[in-house]
Amino acid sequence: MLDPTSVQRHDDRNYQRPDIQGSMSIQPPDNAQWEQALTFIAADRDKKAYSQLFSYFAPRLKAFGLKMFGNEQQAMEMVQDTMLNVWQKARLFDASRGCASTWIFTIARNVRFDMLRKKQSRKDELSADDLFFDGDYPEQEGTDSNEWDLWLLAEKVAPHFAKLPPAQRDVMEKVYLEEKSHQEVSEELAIPLGTVKSRIRLALDRLREAIDDPRS
Amino acid sequence: MIHAVKYHPTLELLEQYIEASLAPQVSLAIAAHLDLCPHCQRMKMDLEAEAGAALLSLPEAQTAETDWQQMLDFITAQPEVAVKAEQRQPFTLHIQNSEILLPASLKPLLQTKLKWFNLGGISTAKLAGEDQHNVSLLYIRKDSEVPQHTHLGLEITLVLKGKIYDESGCYGEGDLLINTPDHTHTPRTKSEDCLCLSVLTAPLKFKKGLTRLLNPLQHLFY
Ligand SMILES: [Zn+2]
Repeated sequence: MLDPTSVQRHDDRNYQRPDIQGSMSIQPPDNAQWEQALTFIAADRDKKAYSQLFSYFAPRLKAFGLKMFGNEQQAMEMVQDTMLNVWQKARLFDASRGCASTWIFTIARNVRFDMLRKKQSRKDELSADDLFFDGDYPEQEGTDSNEWDLWLLAEKVAPHFAKLPPAQRDVMEKVYLEEKSHQEVSEELAIPLGTVKSRIRLALDRLREAIDDPRS
Repeated sequence: MIHAVKYHPTLELLEQYIEASLAPQVSLAIAAHLDLCPHCQRMKMDLEAEAGAALLSLPEAQTAETDWQQMLDFITAQPEVAVKAEQRQPFTLHIQNSEILLPASLKPLLQTKLKWFNLGGISTAKLAGEDQHNVSLLYIRKDSEVPQHTHLGLEITLVLKGKIYDESGCYGEGDLLINTPDHTHTPRTKSEDCLCLSVLTAPLKFKKGLTRLLNPLQHLFY
């Protein structure tokens, strides 16, 4: 299997990928508050709600931008473009599709992509909006199955279980070892039900890859 | 017809995709795979949710309060823009005497008439290319063999229609294959024509010794 880290990077830089997994165990502040703020901005162009959202996200987006670009100027350009999009396109935010923080992350990612693209003065035949689709895909028959759940019973999974990111492992232990329902785990860890489900899916995929890997 | 996709990008590749760290042409192949693969669509959403949660918990980066205020004032002075949620629908294209349903991601690259080059049972049409990152369509007639070829970078193939076979298996609609230069394989078709998206990436450059140590597969690229 190919090591995906060997695929050439867009930005041609060596940087540390943000430690997504490592920071997951910290409980993020209430996303519901930001969902509400976005709703107000969309409905009334509510400057007060926007200014609160700005105070929270702008400095964090800057930290993200510094990580991704490695310099202050581009980081700030990314913050401004991202936050401008949030202001102008708040109507596009759809809470049924994901959290406020997810939406803002995807905007920042798209802004970053288009900035890199512009820097290389490319024609925009490949634009972030096309490459990172953020709406609903047409309905397709589900092809997923829970067959991988069965693998968890097999001994070969055990050594890989320990290597899961801590936040995913916590959820998996509660569901598969303590046999708790997703709802119970959600309440116990004070995380949304959707997060419980998505962590399980990510963990199952990780385990599946670990088992498939001929080197293991 | 829905074909159960068997060959997916790795989770690590998807992680790099969702943060826009891959070459755009590689991202295009992933995006087209996503159009065809509900499983990876969900993985993408899950990974984006995790990345969003990570953003929420990042420590604040310092900037003078006056600079923030200036940015805030500038933004809130901007007018709202008319926006509407996008629809994502596959589209059909007339290729080699048949109507073929293609993933929506490819649409921006198919606005102009394709120029096909034919060689035996194989036709290719270039969709985009820069820095030796070539994106093309590959149409392989039934009972044809793709001649052995070499390339210095990666070769990414996404099956869009029909089936293709090589020494290690059979690949159908939606399957994504990534080959390194030392994978010599001889893909061939059997009883049906096959249309693929092909992305050839530039030779990989490894500038630093450290990268070499970090990447055990690096020797594959010389
Ligand atoms: Zn997939």
